[in-house]
Amino acid sequence: MSTPKLRCVGVTKRFAGGRRSPGVLALDGIDLEVRQNELVCIVGASGCGKSTLLSIIGGLETATSGIVEVDGASVTGPGPDRGMVFQGYSLFPWKTVQENVRFGLELAGATTQEQQARTDELLAVVGLADFADSLPRELSGGMRQRVAIARALAPEPDVLLLDEPFGALDAQTKRSLQEFLLTIWQRTSATILMVTHDVDEAIYLSGRVYVLSSRPGRVAEEIEIPFGSSRGTHIKRDPRFLDLRDDIEEHLYTQMVEG
Amino acid sequence: MAGPGTLLALRSELDARWQSMLGVAGVLGLLAGWQLVAWTVAGGSFLLPTPVQTVRALGELASSGELWSDMLASVQRVGIGYGISLAIGIVFGVAIGSMAAAEAFFEPQFGLLRYIPASALTPLFLLWLGIDEPPKIALIVVGTVFYNILMVADVARSVPTTLINASYTLGANRRTILRRVVLPHSWPGIIDVARINLAAAWLMLVVAELLAAQEGLAFRIIRAQRFRQVDRMFALLLVFGAIGIVSDVVLRAVKKYGFPWARP
Repeated sequence: MSTPKLRCVGVTKRFAGGRRSPGVLALDGIDLEVRQNELVCIVGASGCGKSTLLSIIGGLETATSGIVEVDGASVTGPGPDRGMVFQGYSLFPWKTVQENVRFGLELAGATTQEQQARTDELLAVVGLADFADSLPRELSGGMRQRVAIARALAPEPDVLLLDEPFGALDAQTKRSLQEFLLTIWQRTSATILMVTHDVDEAIYLSGRVYVLSSRPGRVAEEIEIPFGSSRGTHIKRDPRFLDLRDDIEEHLYTQMVEG
Repeated sequence: MAGPGTLLALRSELDARWQSMLGVAGVLGLLAGWQLVAWTVAGGSFLLPTPVQTVRALGELASSGELWSDMLASVQRVGIGYGISLAIGIVFGVAIGSMAAAEAFFEPQFGLLRYIPASALTPLFLLWLGIDEPPKIALIVVGTVFYNILMVADVARSVPTTLINASYTLGANRRTILRRVVLPHSWPGIIDVARINLAAAWLMLVVAELLAAQEGLAFRIIRAQRFRQVDRMFALLLVFGAIGIVSDVVLRAVKKYGFPWARP
């Protein structure tokens, strides 16, 4: 088998304690991998360290031990090879939609023509060409997240990391953005790792799901989702979907009650 | 038009017509009260001139040219001193607000220095810098810079961490983030800080001109006192007020039209 696009080996994070407290072990030896063109979700109850894990992969936090590799090479700091989308309020409010998307391209030193071409292309992909000159404040929450995704894709990252990107949206918007993400994934053949607490969302979107247990965060289960690339609302009524959902939710609930 | 009930409602919107009418009524009321007190209590004494006498004195100052040269001298001092103070405030404030190490190193000392009344440094500045322009500028800088630094630091601190993290993942380095993310996000807040602390700059200017000056608005007030020209003193006080209002309006407009993304 080829080298995975993204790999975590034994990633451990301990938050330093004070003089009298031993500190908190947030993540304990996380092993995971995401292959080229795969869409993988990490689910876990709140407080299980899943966002910390994504921050470590994104290079925004450092692991106490363990390594993160992209294409077999270990990475430390943040970089444009790992695009990131956050839960909300991450667009630059003084920049227009297209200036937001263009920012990463400017930093990469692309020529003005390249920047414009790539920005136009992405705005067309996310369906916001008509809003190129709008400010983020003029857009709805769902549109803002589409801009954030376009901005993260602009520098053509090896992996796209999504940190509960639809967590702050209402149910209808959330659903349309899930479809949107699938479309983007198919059209750009991106490699995507997404963190969510929404079990339905995880099963519906991904090819594989990592279930994280809490305190310390460990990989409790790795589940293959058996629907291949066929997605659509019908799979949400598939008995296998319902069984998977019950299993995972039961697991997370037990975790929460015991924790 | 709104009835008196809605007029006194808490936190409600007031339409533009009512707003300007109330403003004008307030100013007219103030002038009427002043006129009344000047007539009745002061009984026409030169110690409390009426609004009309004040305006006449203002006209004399303007036509003799003194007003303009004094205004120029004072505005220049505040402009230079406060400009330097703001520049220092932005550099240190952004550093303190963005970097924990800068915050740990600078904030305690600036917090301490802030409590030394700048006016108490006047004798020292006169000794060190002579009696010309430098001690006056220095007084304005020292009297405002610590407030500017600490308040700009608060503005820079309020840049959402997510914006900084997003920039890192797009390939930005620390310097780029300070220049292209923290600073642009902070501009509207910095303008507010500049507007609020400007009053302190004028306060320090008066202290400076009262001690040693050949021209300037506060110097002219002292001069008028010596000749018991109270109407002139009042006219000059009005000029201070007018300059304050104009700069306030200008800075508000710069914020509103220069940074439309930050409108509430």
